[in-house]
Amino acid sequence: MSSPEESAAAPMVELTNVTKTFHRGAETLTVLDGLSLSIAEGSFEALMGPSGSGKSTLLNLVAGLDRATSGGVRVAGQDLTAMTDGDLAAFRARYIGFIFQSYNLMPVLTALENVELPLLLTKLPSADRKRRAATALRVVGLEDRADHYPRQLSGGQEQRVAIARALVNDPKIIVADEPTGDLDRKSADQILALLEKLNKDFKKTVVMVTHDPEAASHARVTHHLNKGAFQ
Amino acid sequence: MVPVSYSVRNLMVRRTTTAATALGIGLVVFVFASVLMLGAGLQRAMGRSGSADVAIVLRAGSDAESSSGIELPAAGLVTASPEVRVRPDGRSDAVGEVVGVLALDRAGGEGMSNVQVRGVPDDVYRFRPSVHVVAGRAAAPGSDEVVVGAAIRGRFRGVDLGQSFEIKKNRRVRVVGVIEDRGSSFESEVWGDIDTVRAAFGREALVSSVRVGLRSAGQLDAFKRAIETNPQLGLTVKRESVYYEELAQGTTTFLTILGLMIAFFFSAGAMIGAMITMHASVAQRSREIGTLRALGFSRRSILASFLFESVVLSLAGGVVGALASLAMGLVRFNIVNFATWSEVVFTFVPTPSIVVSSLLFAALMGLLGGFFPAVRAARMNVLDALRA
Repeated sequence: MSSPEESAAAPMVELTNVTKTFHRGAETLTVLDGLSLSIAEGSFEALMGPSGSGKSTLLNLVAGLDRATSGGVRVAGQDLTAMTDGDLAAFRARYIGFIFQSYNLMPVLTALENVELPLLLTKLPSADRKRRAATALRVVGLEDRADHYPRQLSGGQEQRVAIARALVNDPKIIVADEPTGDLDRKSADQILALLEKLNKDFKKTVVMVTHDPEAASHARVTHHLNKGAFQ
Repeated sequence: MVPVSYSVRNLMVRRTTTAATALGIGLVVFVFASVLMLGAGLQRAMGRSGSADVAIVLRAGSDAESSSGIELPAAGLVTASPEVRVRPDGRSDAVGEVVGVLALDRAGGEGMSNVQVRGVPDDVYRFRPSVHVVAGRAAAPGSDEVVVGAAIRGRFRGVDLGQSFEIKKNRRVRVVGVIEDRGSSFESEVWGDIDTVRAAFGREALVSSVRVGLRSAGQLDAFKRAIETNPQLGLTVKRESVYYEELAQGTTTFLTILGLMIAFFFSAGAMIGAMITMHASVAQRSREIGTLRALGFSRRSILASFLFESVVLSLAGGVVGALASLAMGLVRFNIVNFATWSEVVFTFVPTPSIVVSSLLFAALMGLLGGFFPAVRAARMNVLDALRA
């Protein structure tokens, strides 16, 4: 699945024999079944598969939003399996940039304030935070929408604000969960072009879950999951 | 930390719910502040009647002047004590007064109430320089003339300038003046000539109390020792300011406890209101909470953010309630003092500490009401919250 040159780079994500099970009453559901994965730093990889295949669960493990039932999870050199809730929150703030299918912007904050949110977890002074947020908005081409609230933006623009928010903290990895799922083709292409830009120009490792083969075609590597295992 | 603007703007977005909840809290704060202002008003009315360098002498065992009696020879011994100030004319700076309680018809036929009547010597204004005749003139010594306090003027039948009322059956006194004294309880009294009042209340050869001006406030202990250790006198000595504080204590405590109990029960309702509002807010914003947690905000940040929002909501109501309560300063209130069984008229007195206490009370309601919703928000599972 990975090309030889990528394998030579230091792995940004390393999953070893990961299992994730859920309990529904007396029934135990195995969502990820002894899965191993290595993603090199600077790679752009897509996770595809039918609903229930475990791709979002896998993404959540990589992002530090969920814990594996067994197996090892190392991301950006950090062992996530041993981390407390607080450690995981700090890990996400430092290493992860999130892009959600429904954008997940705060409706009461302006575009600039939404982008500034992750910087509030740093010790940057207010003026620096504002400057960096404005720069991130410029990267996604929305510098003239800084004072707009999410309700005043189109879906594509909202997702671009979300990308600026994911980028502003200079994370190691961008995790994108169906980033084009709610968008029309034109807006989706703009978002995918931006993700490529983040990967190529800003050297971010991008891990994207998608149903859309067109979206997956922008990734350098595509992993297909089915019933908790790679096909 | 989650930005303050996030919490405040979320309150603004839900204007109607926010306003309704804040109004409920405002009502409680209004009651709370009014109760404290009422207590402060009563304390001021009574406290202003007393001075630190004046001692009041009563019959031992009497709590109030109206139930005390001192024979005139004993009163003479008291005023001759060496701790008592001497006026330039060589006389002791002291007054012996007769105090009685008179039931009078309220103006407008709303039943009867008790009024304290004070028989005063002709040099009473010299002893109490803060008391001024603000309308009419002082009563002539040895006459059937009286002056009335500004607070009760016109509140009882016959108790107004130029009118008359019966101090005793078939004995009328005429109101010739109105007195004021910085809102003290003297403004709720009728003052007449000491012999007239003595005769009306059957207190021949007695005074109810003796007040003496001390050479200094520090002389009280020596004076008290000298009087109280004399077994022939059977008298008790108190600092005048303490005497009035004690007189007001029972009534103030009763009113304050009653009022605070009402405020407490109201506050339970207001806190439940704040809790429901904040619970709804948490439920509506689950995905936002999940997003904040995903971005790296800690559980503690989420807890603090929702607690802050609840406190801001309550403080908004608190400010409205406290401002509304200030209007109560315009209201005059009359109450029967449990110690003297006579009516005291006073106003609600706003003070900076009452305003601060009211706002703290509002903030406390916000903290308690918002606590469980905030804990619920902070404890949400990130993935469950994101899926909401």
